[in-house]
Amino acid sequence: MLAWAVMADEPAGLAWVVRMTSARETELPEDRAAIDARLFGRMVQGDRDALAELYDRFSRPLYATSLRILNDPSEAQDVVHDVFISLWQKSAQFATERGTAFSWAVTLTRNRSIDRLRSRQRRATLIAESAPTDLGYDEDAGAGGAADQAASGDQALAVRSAVAALPVEQKVALELAFFGGLTQQEIAQRLNEPLGTVKARIRRGLLKLRDTLTRRL
Amino acid sequence: MNDDHFEELAALAAFDLLEGAEKAEFAAMLERDPALRARALALREAGSTLAHVAPAAIPPPELKARILASAAAGVSAPAKSNLIAFPVLLAWAAAACFALVAAWMGELYMGSRAQARALHDEMALAALTLQSARNQMEAEHIIHRQELADAQGQVAEATHRYADSERQITALDQRLKSQGDLANFKISTLASLLGNTPQALAVAVWDPARQQGVLSVSKLPTLAKNQDYQLWVIDPQYPGPVSGGVFAIDPENGTAHVTFKADKLIKTPAKFAVSREAKGGGDSPKGPIVLLSQ
Repeated sequence: MLAWAVMADEPAGLAWVVRMTSARETELPEDRAAIDARLFGRMVQGDRDALAELYDRFSRPLYATSLRILNDPSEAQDVVHDVFISLWQKSAQFATERGTAFSWAVTLTRNRSIDRLRSRQRRATLIAESAPTDLGYDEDAGAGGAADQAASGDQALAVRSAVAALPVEQKVALELAFFGGLTQQEIAQRLNEPLGTVKARIRRGLLKLRDTLTRRL
Repeated sequence: MNDDHFEELAALAAFDLLEGAEKAEFAAMLERDPALRARALALREAGSTLAHVAPAAIPPPELKARILASAAAGVSAPAKSNLIAFPVLLAWAAAACFALVAAWMGELYMGSRAQARALHDEMALAALTLQSARNQMEAEHIIHRQELADAQGQVAEATHRYADSERQITALDQRLKSQGDLANFKISTLASLLGNTPQALAVAVWDPARQQGVLSVSKLPTLAKNQDYQLWVIDPQYPGPVSGGVFAIDPENGTAHVTFKADKLIKTPAKFAVSREAKGGGDSPKGPIVLLSQ
């Protein structure tokens, strides 16, 4: 189930770039979770088409997350490959009571990316490269550039908008917590703030994000 | 239980940031109160949405094919039944072998790619080092070339100044030499010794270095055709006068201006004399002396 959007990223007559937008991101949250759960049910039956559909629904945010953490396309592809194979192999273990399939997939992607990041000898350098102090988009531009907006669905735009509305210090703390691969103490050192302050920022930022998304989605 | 404290632990747990005592405390909280699980789960769900905040990136199309190939090659969905028929078992065994081969190939592929990446990094580093060394050498080359050009300019200037100095020295040397030669010149005036040439006058200048002299006379009387005037240099080292040669005068005014050389080496030109001799002169004076230096 793919919706196709045709965008003219290049000057007229030179090239047309066809980008895919996952239909998942325009669905209602409960529909989204239910469809994901049904795909897992089909995967348990050995239905590889279900895996292909799941890939279409999850691959972009998972790849973007891994790429953001690792800053290496090749390694990010390996991580996404391993995650989908894990989801395929462990599809029978999926239980909606323990969270959504998307949350599970994101957790797997993030953990494996951070494991790779920490295994690198150049860890300190790479963390600095992959954990900048902003969220990767221009704050003044609202919820991202035109290309990103065109390539994202409602869910992604809602999340970006919700994060953009957070106070800067909470935004930075959440980013380092999610993408940085750092411990609490390392985040505090990076921000040059007391540990208690950092914990409070993460708590307040995440609660606000949850509340905003609950209202919007 | 402090609700803020729980939310703080739950928020940190959503990003897997709990360790040690905090992690144990949070687990105990969830164990005691299952209702908290839903709250913790909601925060984890909210945290996972941050995946949408990463800059948009689209995975390459071949990744999907690779995943599906891996799934088809090595993995099947969990079986529902514990009883497996032999043909099915055989198929499973074949699939397992295939999966092992695929896994082995995959490992080889991953290892090769990691090795290639490491080599690529090393090559990039080596290229950077080489480029840096080249830049440094080029900079040093430019500096040295400039220094060499400066030095060559200085040498050329010094050579030019040296040549000027040489020319000045040579000129000074010549001037000094001229002045020295002039100081050594013997200059004598010759006066009439006989009453027959009272108005006659002569000046003789002798250059000892060049062993030659100049005689300038005036108002000497005209001689008979079979006679000549002859100049003599008187040097004490010789017993008699040394001939300086015969000379003719202008018959109209009795003047002459002649360059002369002595027949012998002159060390001390004490006096000069002019005598009247037979035509062609002789080795020693025979006729009367007409002029003699003072």
